[in-house]
Amino acid sequence: MIAPALECCSVSKIFGGVRAVDDVSLAAPAGSVSALIGPNGAGKTTLFNVATNLYAPSSGEVRFFGKQAAGLSAHHIAALGVIRTFQTARVFPGMTTLENVMAGAHLHLRAPVISQMLWTRGARQEERQLIEKADALLDMTGLLHCRDAAATNLPIGSQKLIEVVRALMANPTLLLLDEPAAGLNDHETAELAVFLRAVCDAGTSIIVVEHNMSLVMGVADLVFVLDAGRLIASGAPELIQRDERVIEAYLGRTGGQTR
Amino acid sequence: MSSILQIVIGGLLQGGVFAIAALGFSLVFKVTNVVNLSQGAFCVLGAMGMYYFQVVFGWSILPAAIAAVFCATAFSLLVGAFTFVPAVSRLPGSSALVLTAGLLTFFIGITLVVWGNQPYALPPFSGEAPLVVGSLRIPSQGIWLAATLAVIILGLWLLLQKTTLGRALRACAENPAAARLMGIDLSAMMLLSFGLAAMIGSIGGIMVAPIMSLQFDSGQFFTISGFIAVAIGGMGSFVGSIVGGILLGVAEQFAAYYVSSLFANSLALLLLLAVLVLRPAGLFPSGPPRRSDVRDEGRVHRSLVRLPACRTLMFGVTLVGVLAVIPSLTMPNGLIESLVISLILFIAVLGLDVLMGYAGQVSLGHAGFMAVGGYCAAILATSYGWPPILAVIVALILSVLCALLLALATGRLRGHYLALATLTFGLLIDSLAVGLVDLTGGPSGLVGVPAFKIAGFSFDTPVRMYYLALALATVLVLALEGGMRRGFGRALKAVRSDQLAAAALGVNIGRTKIVALCIAAALASLSGSLYAFSFHFLSPEMVETTRSFELIAMLVLGGEGTLIGGFFGSLALTMLPTMVQDLAVFKTAVEGGLLVVIFLFMPEGLFGRLVIWLNRIPLNGATTAYARAR
Repeated sequence: MIAPALECCSVSKIFGGVRAVDDVSLAAPAGSVSALIGPNGAGKTTLFNVATNLYAPSSGEVRFFGKQAAGLSAHHIAALGVIRTFQTARVFPGMTTLENVMAGAHLHLRAPVISQMLWTRGARQEERQLIEKADALLDMTGLLHCRDAAATNLPIGSQKLIEVVRALMANPTLLLLDEPAAGLNDHETAELAVFLRAVCDAGTSIIVVEHNMSLVMGVADLVFVLDAGRLIASGAPELIQRDERVIEAYLGRTGGQTR
Repeated sequence: MSSILQIVIGGLLQGGVFAIAALGFSLVFKVTNVVNLSQGAFCVLGAMGMYYFQVVFGWSILPAAIAAVFCATAFSLLVGAFTFVPAVSRLPGSSALVLTAGLLTFFIGITLVVWGNQPYALPPFSGEAPLVVGSLRIPSQGIWLAATLAVIILGLWLLLQKTTLGRALRACAENPAAARLMGIDLSAMMLLSFGLAAMIGSIGGIMVAPIMSLQFDSGQFFTISGFIAVAIGGMGSFVGSIVGGILLGVAEQFAAYYVSSLFANSLALLLLLAVLVLRPAGLFPSGPPRRSDVRDEGRVHRSLVRLPACRTLMFGVTLVGVLAVIPSLTMPNGLIESLVISLILFIAVLGLDVLMGYAGQVSLGHAGFMAVGGYCAAILATSYGWPPILAVIVALILSVLCALLLALATGRLRGHYLALATLTFGLLIDSLAVGLVDLTGGPSGLVGVPAFKIAGFSFDTPVRMYYLALALATVLVLALEGGMRRGFGRALKAVRSDQLAAAALGVNIGRTKIVALCIAAALASLSGSLYAFSFHFLSPEMVETTRSFELIAMLVLGGEGTLIGGFFGSLALTMLPTMVQDLAVFKTAVEGGLLVVIFLFMPEGLFGRLVIWLNRIPLNGATTAYARAR
């Protein structure tokens, strides 16, 4: 049996008196798209932050593909092949779109600093290959036209997309996306769903934290629902839509309307 | 026993002054989260005002003091309103820190213009006779100082804890965004804290002027001492400021008495380094640090001004071509020497650009690495007769080791710690250069440094030195450009703007910063060695902290994150004073002023401006030819 991409065992995170994440156990299978949903303040992003060791968990443990994540610093987690994006678009200012995307390939750079400085053939060749790969990904996401623009000057939706592309440059085995569809319109969201499906089919496991139900229902194989820090339901999207507890906790609060 | 008590009294006196400066640091840091390095200059501004009102105009003490404090505070408020406040709201923290270093230089320059370079002392408030208790002699001014300190502390406490205004100030410190939403005028609060700090500083300056003779650059001494005090005590903590100041004063007095006054400074700095290593947040840490996972949007902005590849090539070839033929032209005397200095300093600025412009880390003691490189190479070549090239290489290795030690000792160099650690390092090296007379020649300098030689060829004329420096600079720019345009440069820029996102992509933040620091140290060391070989002489004041600030001014003036930009900065700041000798007295003020103005209004620097102009020149034919050649 293949170990799950992300496995949380009784993870809790307590801030002062608030149990932001309360005894959550879940397993996101490898090779699929899982979604983490829940009302505002349910602890979705906190769970992400705990999983990537931005905060140490108050109790419980996290495993990626069966490997313990405890005590690993952020760049070690990235080296495991687990790449995350952030809730607010965090493109690097002072860099073009292309440079931003290429920065994602940091883990796979082979030419050492010294040969970059000596302009060796290897370093130049590697750079050319990176540019080709980045261009191809930008083309696929429809961002090629703003390749040489300052990334921070683009609309938020495009910046979030750049973040996703940047993460993909790292050839992740598990991609953790925090609200990738925030700032996208319905048409762009549908395109993102298609793109994520293709990424998953190419062998990258994906977990998305998302508010946007059309993205979740369109792309997720498995949905986990958090409410007030607790896992209240999990299953296929169609089942989740009919789950009484979910409707009560999540949909019921917004007046019975799906978002 | 009584001698020990006497030393303690001396230490308390000195510590009181440091504590006043430290209080100003803490107050501004609490409200703005920026270390205001111009703090020490307020003391001198206050004392200068007092000198004019009391000694020149002959007013009596109280009105003179009130007028002096009023004038110093008003002047600081005026400068602060147009520089400090917009800088804090617009620039990233590290830039704001450097801007305050520019303000310090500006204030020092102003004092130089007004006061000239001789020391001044004021008459004590209540006569020269000390207070005698048993066998102890307490200077009467000390009583005044202690009383003032107590009044300031009480006043600050009442203001912050008991008034609405104080609550608003504290709210800005806790959460600026929320404070603004509550209707608190953030800019006004920043200006208020700046003005209060200026007031406290000028009162301190007036109190201390009768027991210490002050001159134009005393501001730097107060800033550094106050900064050390506040770093020992804990940034942003008032109790820490006072304890830190007094601890520092007492330690310095004991060191001066029992060891040597030449080393008093070194010991104080070692004390600071020890605190930084063992308790990085200081003895009295003030509250939890701000959330680091939330980025202050809008404050992180860098303009993206670039030359396309084809234009870069043409520009580079033209620049090197012009520089290569310059020595064959007829020129006024001394011009070629100034060009040599510009090029040598440019090498140090290049390293600083990698560290500051690309990796976003501030080094306030970069001249310290120049000093290590310069002294080590010069001593090996002069006293031990080593071949210069070998001496330069050994010096370079030593500098990199110093950088590594500094980086490891201060932990992963988060926040202001690199700035703090490098400043301390620069001062420590400076005080060692002065103190180790047998090795370095002390304050009068190291003489008889031979000319630089490679395999029997001696670079003993300015023209030869010029070509050596030009060749080195060209090779270094090419090599660094190679690194900066590829993966290494991207990692540095990622670290500069968003460490969390960079780490999430697998960038090892700590190691990246250390590599940048080592490159910067190596280049500064090389520059320092060449400097000594070029002048055949090296003295501590050629590589002191003022030089560190000057290197930063050169970088910012030329344009950060451009590599070549630093050359224009170094050229401008080296050539201007040599070309216009009569204006030399204004050099410091202009340097500081330029640094501040460029930061605020022309962040792309001279080179960035140049690029914008160059990009307007139509080049259609050449661009297509270049594209075809590719």
